[in-house]
Amino acid sequence: MSATQVLFWFLSVLAIFSAIMMVASKNPIHSVLWLIIVFFAISGHYVLLNAQFLAIVNLIVYAGAIMVLFLFVIMLMNLNADTEPQKNKWLKMAGVIAGGALLLVFVAALKNADLKNQLVQTNSGEIGLINNLGLSLFHDYVVPFEVSSVLFLSAMVGAVVIAKKND
Amino acid sequence: MNAIILSAVWGVVMMFSGAFSKNKMWARYLAIAGAAFLLLANIADMYAQGNPFFHIDTKGMLTFNMFGLLVNAIAFATTLIYFFLSAKDIEEVGPHAGEYFALIFFVLCGVSLVTSYNNLLILFIGIEILSIPLYILTGSSKQNLKSNEAALKYFLMGAFSTGILLLGIAFLYGASKTGSFFIDDIGIGKVPPSPLFIIGLLLLLAALSFKVSAAPFHFWAPDVYDGSPTVFTSFMISVVKGAAFVAFIRLFADSFLEAQPIWQLIMALITAATLFIGNITAVFQQSVKRMLAYSSIAQVGFMLFAILGVGLKTNTAQEGIVLYIAAYSLASIGIFAILARMKDHSFEGFNGLAKQQPLLAGVNTVFFLSLAGIPLTAGFFAKYYMLSIALQTGKYFWLVIFAVFCAAISIYYYFRVIQAMYFKEGEQQEVEASPAFKGMLVAVAVIIVLLGIFPQWLINKLSIIYF
Repeated sequence: MSATQVLFWFLSVLAIFSAIMMVASKNPIHSVLWLIIVFFAISGHYVLLNAQFLAIVNLIVYAGAIMVLFLFVIMLMNLNADTEPQKNKWLKMAGVIAGGALLLVFVAALKNADLKNQLVQTNSGEIGLINNLGLSLFHDYVVPFEVSSVLFLSAMVGAVVIAKKND
Repeated sequence: MNAIILSAVWGVVMMFSGAFSKNKMWARYLAIAGAAFLLLANIADMYAQGNPFFHIDTKGMLTFNMFGLLVNAIAFATTLIYFFLSAKDIEEVGPHAGEYFALIFFVLCGVSLVTSYNNLLILFIGIEILSIPLYILTGSSKQNLKSNEAALKYFLMGAFSTGILLLGIAFLYGASKTGSFFIDDIGIGKVPPSPLFIIGLLLLLAALSFKVSAAPFHFWAPDVYDGSPTVFTSFMISVVKGAAFVAFIRLFADSFLEAQPIWQLIMALITAATLFIGNITAVFQQSVKRMLAYSSIAQVGFMLFAILGVGLKTNTAQEGIVLYIAAYSLASIGIFAILARMKDHSFEGFNGLAKQQPLLAGVNTVFFLSLAGIPLTAGFFAKYYMLSIALQTGKYFWLVIFAVFCAAISIYYYFRVIQAMYFKEGEQQEVEASPAFKGMLVAVAVIIVLLGIFPQWLINKLSIIYF
């Protein structure tokens, strides 16, 4: 088994185990922490697929920003294992149906996939490299990119105008 | 290109104007100078097409044609007049005068983007640049609960409509054969439309109708226009609304022309609903500001005729909307400039204004007559063009009759103000009006009358190709 395969199996087991633990744990904070591990494992998969940009963005956005938000909400509302509300039976049913529908879509999409060929290209393939993204962003899409700075600037000015005290 | 770059840069200049000088006058003078400069740069762009100050390879993301540039020029000229009339009121809204001006310049950047986009990506960014500063300006009167409510409502509804816009863009991207955001590529040509395309088109139609506040997507408009500070309402319903319409027309004339059978009837129904709801609800309002908010919805109903007529061979739709935007913007800016100076915004507040301020009452009458579409004012020819567009499409005679009927209703509520000013006795009230303010109002009234007599002065500009 090559190092890549070892890493792949390790990351896959880690991701699936953490995902199950996230659903199973009673304490919301533990759930969030397990979810962070899931994101890290998935980012590791992205690196294996030579998609470094996606890996970093996944970490920054999900593990960084969104998870911190979740943690803040949970801590502010002081949720813990004791205050976990009784879940409605219908809510559980709805969850099962929604998850099952997603599973059905995945199975339907992968049913006809050709498994004989190579499934993934590890350590090769150029599409996920920052190099290509930069070329596209600063060549074809440079005008929208630059113009969006005006958008952010106006949002910042607005935040200051709205949030500043003394009036 | 001139306008996009210069308006963004001037927004930054305005942002810093407050940092270096405590004197608020500086911000005002800088803003007026900036608007004048923008107008000149844009006119230079018009007459030297293909040869602007800045040479930038936009990769086909932006195309500058006469229609867009002319609407830019109208928007900048209106803003310049607006600064002359209302800069003082802007400074009184709150302590951040420089920032308010900066946000207005960012809005102008959005205006020049949505009048020249060639790619749905730019449309999206342009509409956002147009809206986000407005959310803030709506809520800028922080002590006023109505202003806070309006800002929150506007923000939430605007966020939803942006989501719908994006979803529509995604569907159109999926439906286009090459996978492209360019508005020339997303059209269907001669092929029958796919369901993806129809969904995308309808979502975009809904999102843009929301941005121009056409019924049934108008529910935010009266509260927002009523709640926000009066000075900013005037900017919102004139310049911004006109720009949103140009975005609407560009998209439907360039991309969706072949798909006209799908959307034309829906558009006609939206037009009828907008005319009906705007005019009927405006009749029952007690406050002039709220009445003007509803009447702006009614005016949108007339502007929507231009979208019905985008398929016409001549440029009638573009000509009509240019004239309508000019007439409507000038009149609203004038009315709101006077309204912002008055303490009492109800109809009674206007009682006896003609005795105390004969000049203000006189120009106000001209503005209201123009909104109502009385001959010899610009509003008459604007409405005339719109109705003639509907007649030229040959299918919507019922809509023309309905529109004339609605215009007749609108005369009632516009004349209520005129009647209050001239035929009712009222108590003395202070309306602060400097000679410069009065002179500017008279100039606006003169422009409205001149446009009402010689509308071709403006319209002929559309047919200038290269100089």
